[in-house]
Amino acid sequence: MRYLWILLGWLLFQNTLLSAPPVLAPVVPGKTFEFPEDHGAHPDFRIEWWYVTGWLETPANRPLGFQITFFRLATQTDNDNSSRFSPDQLIIAHVALSDPAIGKLLHDQKVARTGFGLAYAKTGNTDVKLDHWTFLRETDGRYQADIKADDFTMKLSLTPSQPLLLQGENGFSRKGPKAAQASYYYSEPHLQVSGAVSYQGKDIAVTGTAWLDREWSSEYLDPDAAGWDWISASLDDGSALMAFQIRGKDDSKIWAYAVLRDASGHVQTLTPDQVSFHPIRTWRSARTQAVYPVTTRIRTGETEWQIAPLMDDQELDSRASAGTVYWEGAVTLTRDGQPAGRGYMELTGYIQLLTM
Amino acid sequence: MSHLPVLELSDINKSYSDRKVLSGLSYSLSAGEYVAIMGDSGVGKSTLLNLIAGLDSPDSGEIRIEGKYLPVEDEAATSLRRKYLGFIFQAFHVLPHLTLLQNVSLPLLLNHLPLDRASIMLASVGLQGRERDFPHQLSGGELQRVAIARALVHRPRLILADEPTGNLDQDTSREILQLIRSEIKANQASAIIVTHSRPAAETADKILLLNRHGLAPVSLENRQ
Amino acid sequence: MNPILLIRWLLQGEWHSHRLQSIIAVLAIMFGVALGFTIHLINTAAVSEFSAATRSLSGTSDLTVRALRPTFDESLYPTLMQYEEVVQASPVLEITVGIPTRAETMHNPVLKILGLDMFRALSVTPDLLGVPAEDNPMDALADDAVFLSPAAMEWLSVKQGESIEVSMGTKQITLRVAGGLARAHTGQRIAVMDIGAAQWRFDQLGQLSRIELKLQQGANHTAFQEMLSKKLGTSYLLTESQDDDMRAHNMSRAYRVNLSILALVALFTGAFLIFSSQILSTIRRRSQFALLRVLGMTRRQLLYQLLLENGLLGVLGSLLGLALGYLLATMALHHLGADLGAGLFPGLKPQLHPDPLAAVLYFLLGIGVTVLGSLLPAWEAAHAHPASALKSGSEYTVLAALRVPRLAAACLLVGVIFTGLPPIDDLPIFGYLAIALLLTGSMAALPYLCGLLFSTLLRTLNSSKSNILYTLAITRLSNASGLAAIALGGILVSFSLMVAMAIMVTSFRISVNNWLAQVLPADLYLHPITHQDTRGFTPDEQQIITTHPDIARTDFIRSIPLTLDPARPDVTLLARPINQDDPGLTLPLTKNILPSDDIPPDTIPIWVSEAMVDLYGFKIGKRITLPFTTDPEQTFIIAGIWRDYGRIFGAIQMQLSDYRRLTGDNHASDAALWIKPGITIHTAVSALKALPFGDVLEIMETGQIRAVALKQFDRSFAVTYLLELVAIGVGLMGVAASFSAQMLTRIRELGMLRHIGLSKQQIRHMLTLEGGLLAGFGVATGFILGTGISLILIFIINPQSFHWTMQLHMPWTWLLLMALAVLGAAVLTAHATSRRAVSGNVIRAVREDS
Repeated sequence: MRYLWILLGWLLFQNTLLSAPPVLAPVVPGKTFEFPEDHGAHPDFRIEWWYVTGWLETPANRPLGFQITFFRLATQTDNDNSSRFSPDQLIIAHVALSDPAIGKLLHDQKVARTGFGLAYAKTGNTDVKLDHWTFLRETDGRYQADIKADDFTMKLSLTPSQPLLLQGENGFSRKGPKAAQASYYYSEPHLQVSGAVSYQGKDIAVTGTAWLDREWSSEYLDPDAAGWDWISASLDDGSALMAFQIRGKDDSKIWAYAVLRDASGHVQTLTPDQVSFHPIRTWRSARTQAVYPVTTRIRTGETEWQIAPLMDDQELDSRASAGTVYWEGAVTLTRDGQPAGRGYMELTGYIQLLTM
Repeated sequence: MSHLPVLELSDINKSYSDRKVLSGLSYSLSAGEYVAIMGDSGVGKSTLLNLIAGLDSPDSGEIRIEGKYLPVEDEAATSLRRKYLGFIFQAFHVLPHLTLLQNVSLPLLLNHLPLDRASIMLASVGLQGRERDFPHQLSGGELQRVAIARALVHRPRLILADEPTGNLDQDTSREILQLIRSEIKANQASAIIVTHSRPAAETADKILLLNRHGLAPVSLENRQ
Repeated sequence: MNPILLIRWLLQGEWHSHRLQSIIAVLAIMFGVALGFTIHLINTAAVSEFSAATRSLSGTSDLTVRALRPTFDESLYPTLMQYEEVVQASPVLEITVGIPTRAETMHNPVLKILGLDMFRALSVTPDLLGVPAEDNPMDALADDAVFLSPAAMEWLSVKQGESIEVSMGTKQITLRVAGGLARAHTGQRIAVMDIGAAQWRFDQLGQLSRIELKLQQGANHTAFQEMLSKKLGTSYLLTESQDDDMRAHNMSRAYRVNLSILALVALFTGAFLIFSSQILSTIRRRSQFALLRVLGMTRRQLLYQLLLENGLLGVLGSLLGLALGYLLATMALHHLGADLGAGLFPGLKPQLHPDPLAAVLYFLLGIGVTVLGSLLPAWEAAHAHPASALKSGSEYTVLAALRVPRLAAACLLVGVIFTGLPPIDDLPIFGYLAIALLLTGSMAALPYLCGLLFSTLLRTLNSSKSNILYTLAITRLSNASGLAAIALGGILVSFSLMVAMAIMVTSFRISVNNWLAQVLPADLYLHPITHQDTRGFTPDEQQIITTHPDIARTDFIRSIPLTLDPARPDVTLLARPINQDDPGLTLPLTKNILPSDDIPPDTIPIWVSEAMVDLYGFKIGKRITLPFTTDPEQTFIIAGIWRDYGRIFGAIQMQLSDYRRLTGDNHASDAALWIKPGITIHTAVSALKALPFGDVLEIMETGQIRAVALKQFDRSFAVTYLLELVAIGVGLMGVAASFSAQMLTRIRELGMLRHIGLSKQQIRHMLTLEGGLLAGFGVATGFILGTGISLILIFIINPQSFHWTMQLHMPWTWLLLMALAVLGAAVLTAHATSRRAVSGNVIRAVREDS
């Protein structure tokens, strides 16, 4: 999903001449992160997200997957436009819940322009809102997510149990061969989740583990990029894994990256040539005819990971509203053949993009 | 041959406002009988015919046709009239926009009878081959022939003729009177002819004089 | 089978012998049904189109929140979103802009632009979303982009990627056509752009026109609406889509009802024609019916036969009428538009929809009217005494039955009483009933009046000196007045309606003309190309106009629409300088005004149009509040009532200074200019055109405005004129039909006259004279009746349906010409039909009895 909004953000620059065009900040190496300010929004950058994925467990020990994502997008709007409706910042949110008993995702999405206190991404600390959906970081570092989607609700509390993980070079994360193709990126793995979900008329108390990604940038994708594959996992031994690759239109690898932090806090980062994705089994969506490599082998340096989905159909089909289609779902991992833990995988660019 | 009277009038009274027209009139007409009724103007000849036809009802007294009481109610009287009576008028009264055949067929239609007798009757009154003519193509005598055919076409038991030759010249009158008589006899009907004309009356079997005392037979001695 | 054969024979016989009468009867029914059906079809098409177009703007919205003012503060939007029951709130800013490039060819060339938040509109009005080019998806949010409906693109002849120039007041704005709409209502001219861009580009920051709400499924909509309405107070309106339908319906209702009544008049004229021709036919066929009765046809059979004969005419006429009506509606929609030229539904192109239910209804109405018209004669024929009916001369007993002076008097009396009753549901029902009763009463009185007039004439006649033909004619008319009156009915009905319409239209037109002279005192009027423009002239621009060297005096007028009742169309608020000491100098006041001493200092005087009195109960001295001020407590007092022929939904005038003080709105919509002496209008106009904003101005000379207004007036009465012509045609056909039918019933009488020595020529003269005398009587009666009806139209129907009054003006010359024309036509008709009367075999005519 990140990818699609990045692409959209790209399109925003194809605009006409404005009397007072907004100026976007560049992503440069050597930034020193400051918290809690950097938990808050960075409206000078074109795109930014709060991206939570994770596994939940019901009192009956049934596993569920969930995703809560908020995007902030700066559009190319004339600064002279003093209307409170001026669409200079958009908030986009996607939420999903995977239950193998249902066999497909429950999901919902919203888009709104900021303003009137109805939708915003505040600076200073994490505080994003889109109508009745909120994601808030309290002063003690605990996140509160409150989502009332069409088919389900989630009210979750996410408590950090590990330090922040700055991606790339102290949070400067390259996304392509060019230096400007980069973002500021940090993660919070092993967030301890507790709360409740309700769907199909049932209220269920849940606990679990989640992963938060925070990323912002103004320009970062290679024009040849066709999609990307991404995975994050809070592993059973307390280590954390994140890997992604950006695919070209000819299915080649334009860029890749992985990081593995063990429970003791030792961080291993891997360069593009040390990371590779290898599809093992594909699944074809009957809805969209898109074919996703739902079972995949990932090599990070000497380590081989095998990824298997909680269920095959974790496709988000929002062609009717936002017009986007991608696969994002709960997966289990084995490390060199041994069960290693659970994570979330995102597969985008497997269907022709439909504009919204 | 039945001996039942075709028409029985018993103690008929009829007045118009304060003028008494008929009082205590009784008469019985046998089957096959052909009578002429004469009388002064205003003595009630037309009234009598209207009463018999059921077009008017008596103040008191009974009228029976073929043994059936003539009802006062219009619908029932009409149905009785339609079946048992035939009419010949002084003014012919032929519908101008219907052909001769259609005119003659009217009683058959109204009585739900087969139409084939209409052309037979037209032929029998001497108008064969003119079925498709319209009344305006005919002379007065010819019109009255149509009327005679129409009066008899549905085999009524009783013919009422009111001055049938009043609008005709002498020669035609004689012809028409003969025709009326022969057709009535040929169809075994009874008839009452109301007329001022003595020669016309004399074609009947019997002449009756209507005055304020009732119907009285007139001698036929002078009959030529 | 036999009875059917009999029916067929009789039908064929009647058809062969009286083809002309049958055809005329069929034509009369046809015209009546056709006109009624046409008007129904056009109105249904217009109203349904208007509703569909309005509804398409609200999409699937459950509730629309708007203010009584055109716009309101946007802070309501987040407030509404807070409610649990509200699933989505879609804010809308509706802006009407002018299209300067179309100003040359069209009056008030406006385009409606909807400013939408696409993310909110997505689930409420998805059809109205702009569809940008595939490579420019963010055009949907661009502040220079506009999305046009196909009809708008066609109207403006632009394509995606091109630009359009729009104007708001004197400001011109260029917008880029970024694409079309997802699914616009067919034929609807509309544009969509981002709401933020719209607020900014059109100087409407902070303003919304309405908010469309989508409520939670299962929420109690009524309860929520009640709660919200209480919370928002009286300056906001909550409407559902059916309320908009109601508004659309009300907008054209008065016009529609009045047209429908005219169509009914045509239909009932047809019914009368059937009635009179059936009476004559019954008289003519009296002995035939008697014969059939004697031969054994029952009363019921005969009644059925007659009703069937006429029913068939009704079926034929109604079917033809439906076909003609559909054709006329198609043509009228194509050439005149949905409002038949009245200008009620601009920017829409309605399609004609077949309406089987209405077709059946009008079909039955046509047959019903025919059967009704023949019921009385048929009943009489079936119940006549056959024995006496067989005798000649008995037709006069029929006519005796038609002498009903008591019924006539009752009708006339009730009619007069009805003129005093108020409207029902805003419609002048009693006024129309009064007209119907006066017509019926006059017709019923005709035999009596006719007899009265001609017997009086006969008495005063000096027979020794008078012309024998004249004596004969008068004698006959006096003695056979019933028969004569039947011929007269057609003339009476059509001529009286013609007179009534002529007087009403003339009075109206002269009143409008006088009114225009009073409301247009200045030399020049100017306004931006759109009417009631929200921006209009800015204070700076007003200054430029006022200080122009050619201009002696300038009055600025601010005009805004106000909603006082959500079910009714908006009223207009006009703020202008009004002479404080004598408001009558500025306004066309109708009644005594409230003396300025009686205006309390804490209230502000307003002057309301007559419509406001009828529609909202605004009486002189009444204190009210109005929804346009920032202070909702401010009270106004009604200081006077003025006549307004321009705005039938109501208008309010007030001092411009009061308006500015209350609203802070210093813009002006129109300007009235007096030019300095010695400067020609032409020079002044050129000078104004040379102003910086000169090319988006519509500058009208007073004379020009008057000409345009009167042209529009005449156009809206075009249909009325057409209906009048039809009514006259039907009336004359009636004259011809009844004259020729009477000739046939009088064959014997005329033959007798020939026998006693009148020449053919003399008989024709006599018949023509009779026709002339009769028509003269009809025209005179029609004139009196018509004047009476016109008084009802002027003083009851118009004030009650359009809420304006007018003065009576008699178009004497025109009336005289019409009277002569009808008289001439009747005399010619009588003369022409008299030829038939003397052409037959007279000898035969005397002897023949049938």
